Amino acid sequence: MKGMLKYLSPFAPDQSGAVSVLYDMGGITVICDAGGCTGNICGFDEPRWTDSPRPVFSAGLRDMDAILGRDDKLVEKLGAVSGKTGAPFAAIVGTPVPAVIATDFRALTHMTEKRCGLPAVAVECTGTNLYDKGASDTYMALFKKFALDDTEPDRSAVGVLGMIPLEISRKDGVRYVRSAYADSVRRRFLCYGMGSGIEDIKRAGSVSENIVVSPSGLAAAKYLKKRFGTPYIIDYPFITDELQEKFRQLAGKRVLVIHQQVAADKARKIIESAGGDCVVCGSWFMQPSEIKRDADIAFSTEQQFMDTVASGEFDVIAADPLMKRAARAAGFDGEFIEFNHFAVSGDLDDDI
Amino acid sequence: MTEDTAYYITAEKLAQAGPDGVPSELRSSEHLIYSSPAALSFNSPGAQGFGVKRAALAVPGSIELLVAPGCCGRNTTILSRSGGYRDRFFYLLMDDTDIVTGRHLRKIPEAVKEAADSCDEKPSCVMICITCVDALLGTDMERVCRRASEYAGLPVLPSYMYALTREGREPPMTSVRKSIYSLLEKRKRKSDVVNILGEFAPLSDDSEIYEILKSAGVKKINEISRLTTFEEYLEMSEANFNIVVNPECRLAAGDLNKRLGMPYIELRKLHQPSQIRRQYELFGSAVGAEIDDADYLRRAEKTVNDFSEKYHGISAAVGETLNGDTFEIALSLLRSGCCVPEIFGTVSGENFVYIKRIAEISPETRIYTNLSPTMLFYDCSDQPVDVTIGADAAYYHPDAPNVPWNSDIQPFGYAAAEHLYRALDDALEGRNRR
Repeated sequence: MKGMLKYLSPFAPDQSGAVSVLYDMGGITVICDAGGCTGNICGFDEPRWTDSPRPVFSAGLRDMDAILGRDDKLVEKLGAVSGKTGAPFAAIVGTPVPAVIATDFRALTHMTEKRCGLPAVAVECTGTNLYDKGASDTYMALFKKFALDDTEPDRSAVGVLGMIPLEISRKDGVRYVRSAYADSVRRRFLCYGMGSGIEDIKRAGSVSENIVVSPSGLAAAKYLKKRFGTPYIIDYPFITDELQEKFRQLAGKRVLVIHQQVAADKARKIIESAGGDCVVCGSWFMQPSEIKRDADIAFSTEQQFMDTVASGEFDVIAADPLMKRAARAAGFDGEFIEFNHFAVSGDLDDDI
Repeated sequence: MTEDTAYYITAEKLAQAGPDGVPSELRSSEHLIYSSPAALSFNSPGAQGFGVKRAALAVPGSIELLVAPGCCGRNTTILSRSGGYRDRFFYLLMDDTDIVTGRHLRKIPEAVKEAADSCDEKPSCVMICITCVDALLGTDMERVCRRASEYAGLPVLPSYMYALTREGREPPMTSVRKSIYSLLEKRKRKSDVVNILGEFAPLSDDSEIYEILKSAGVKKINEISRLTTFEEYLEMSEANFNIVVNPECRLAAGDLNKRLGMPYIELRKLHQPSQIRRQYELFGSAVGAEIDDADYLRRAEKTVNDFSEKYHGISAAVGETLNGDTFEIALSLLRSGCCVPEIFGTVSGENFVYIKRIAEISPETRIYTNLSPTMLFYDCSDQPVDVTIGADAAYYHPDAPNVPWNSDIQPFGYAAAEHLYRALDDALEGRNRR
C-alpha cells in the first residue's frame, strides 16, 4: 500500500530541511506548529541544537488559533520577540497545521515585516514532503530575498550549497570541504547552512564558484548562475578514506548505492575508478538529471524498495543502516555496507 | 528587567498574584515557545520518556499504526530501534491530498490488516495514533476504528496525539491513558485485587506501597507495565479499586468508575516524609485499613535528616523534566534546609498549594518557565547553584552536579524520598571528589 511503512520509519520532512538551512543564518525562526513539529525538528533532525541552540521558536498554536486563523496573534508574539533578539530577519516555516487551514504565508510575511520592522521570509512546508524540498525552497527564498546585485567579485570566495547535516551526515563538514580543495586557489568557503550567515547570502553574487554537495542546493546554484553568472560544480567531499577504500573493493560486484543522489553518485564514481562497471544509484529523494543515469532508481514506496533488493540483481547494498532490516526482511542476503544518511536514520558520521 | 534578561517572578509575588493572576510571561499561550533543549519534553514528550506513541503501546501484545504526515513519526525512529518496540510501530503516511480531503481514512482498515498480518503473532490490539491534521479535519476516529476492527478481526483503538489540544480539557497524555484502559470490560470484582494506574513503567520495586497494600489484605496488585499477556491485562477488570499515582490518569480512572463501577483513590508522588505519612493515613481511612508505616517513615526521616545535617544551606535548582511535581520537590528541599534560588516550572492552579508554602520559606525564589522566549538570555552566572534536579535544570547549570530524576521506573512513597536524597548526596559527593 502506498504510504505504508512496516520496516522503515519516516524520513526527515520538509520543515526539518528548512530549519536546517536557516539554523546558522542568524535570524529568528518560527515554526508554525503546535509544538510537536518543533520538538521533532530540534530534538531529532538538528544535531547542532544540543551544542549550539539558536533562536528557534514554536508558534505554540492551539485549536482555536487554527480554527479562527489568528495570524495577527502570531505576528504579535513574533513582534514581542524580534525586538529583544536583535536578529536581522525573521523566517516562518510551515507545518501540517497551516497546510490544513490554508494559511496565507505571503500575507503573514507582509504582516511580520510591518509589525517587526524586519525583512521576513516564509517557507511553505507541509510536513508531507521530504527534507530536500524544504531545504531547496529555503535556499531559494533566502537568495531571492537577500542576495545583493552590487557586490564586488571575490575570487577567493567559494560558495557551498546543500551542505546541511541532513545531507552530509556531519556537523564537522567544513573541515572536509577545506581538506578536499586545499590544493586549489580557493581559500574562503561560504558554507550556506553551516557556518555562513545572512551576510554571506547577501554577498552570494561575489563568489567565484559554487560547489553543490546535495540535490537540495542545485536549484539555488542554477538560480545564482542565471542571476550572477556564477559557475557551479557538483561534488561530495565527505566520504571518509575508510569508506572510500571499502567502495574501491567493490569493483566487479553488482552494487546498489542508496543515499541522496550527489553522495550516491560520488560513491559510484569511486567504485568505477577502481574498475567497477555495475553500480546503480537509488534514492528516496531528488535525483537531478545532471547526475542521474538511466538505470538509477527513484524509490517511492517501501514495497518497491523491498522488491528491488529482493530481485537478485545486486550483490552489495550500500545504504543507511535503517534500511538493513527492510532489506533482510525482503530476503536480501548479500553484503550490506553502512553508508549513513542522517535524514534517514538520524545517525551522524562525525569523527570529532 | 532589561530587554535581554530571562523573565522570572519571585515566589512571593506569584503567591500574591494567585492562580488567576499568573503573569502572561508564564502562560505558554501568550508567547512564542522557545525551543531549547530544556523545553524538549514540552514540545516533544516522546523524545524522552513516554509520549503518546510509546504510551499507547502499554497494552501487552499491541502494535501501533501511526496515521499522519511523515513529520509526526520522525522521532519514532529512535523508539523503533529500542528494545521491545522495533516490531511494534507501523506507519501510514499522509500526502498533501490526504490532509485536505481526508481520503486516508478509507485506507486505514486495510493498513491495520496489513500491519497485523505481518506480525509473527497476532497482536492483541492495534492502537491508531492520529495527530493535529485529523484534529482539524474533525475525524471521527472511533468510527474509523470500529470499521477497521470489523475488517481486520481484532480490537482497534484510537490514541490522539493532538498537540493542538495540549491545554484543553483532554490533553494527549490524559487521553492516551483513557485509551489504554478502554478495552477493560466488566468482570466480577475481587476484594483483594488492586490496580495502580497512571504510569507506563512500574513503580520502583522497593516502594513500600506494595508491602503496605499487602498488609491491608491486598493479594494482587496490577500495573499495566508489569503485565506480559493480554489476558493479564483483561484481569485488571477484577480489581476492587484503582490507585491513581499520576493526575493525568484521573480521566481514565473516572471512565473506569463510570463504565465498570470501579472507584479510585489518588495518591501523589511526595518527597516529604511527614506528608507521605499523612497521605497514607488518609488512604488507610478511605479503604478502611490501619496502615503501619512507622518503619518506613523512620528510615525516610533519617535519610532526609542525615542529608540536612551534611548539606544544610546548599543551593539547588529544580526543573520540571522529572518524576514528580516540581514545586513539591522544591518545597521538600526547602524544608530540609536547602536553599532553592531557582525553579524552572510550568505553573498551574494545582501548584499554588506548594507555591504559597515556598513563598513563606523562600520568598525570593525565582520561578522561570522553560518556554519563555526570554530564556534565550538566561545566564547561570547570575545565581550559581550547588546541585540541580531534572534534565532541564542541568541544561541551565551545566557545571553543577545533576540528579536527572527522570527514569522510566517511577520512585514512589517513602522510597522515593530516600532515593531522591541519596541521589542528591551521590551527586554532591561526586562534585566534592572532583
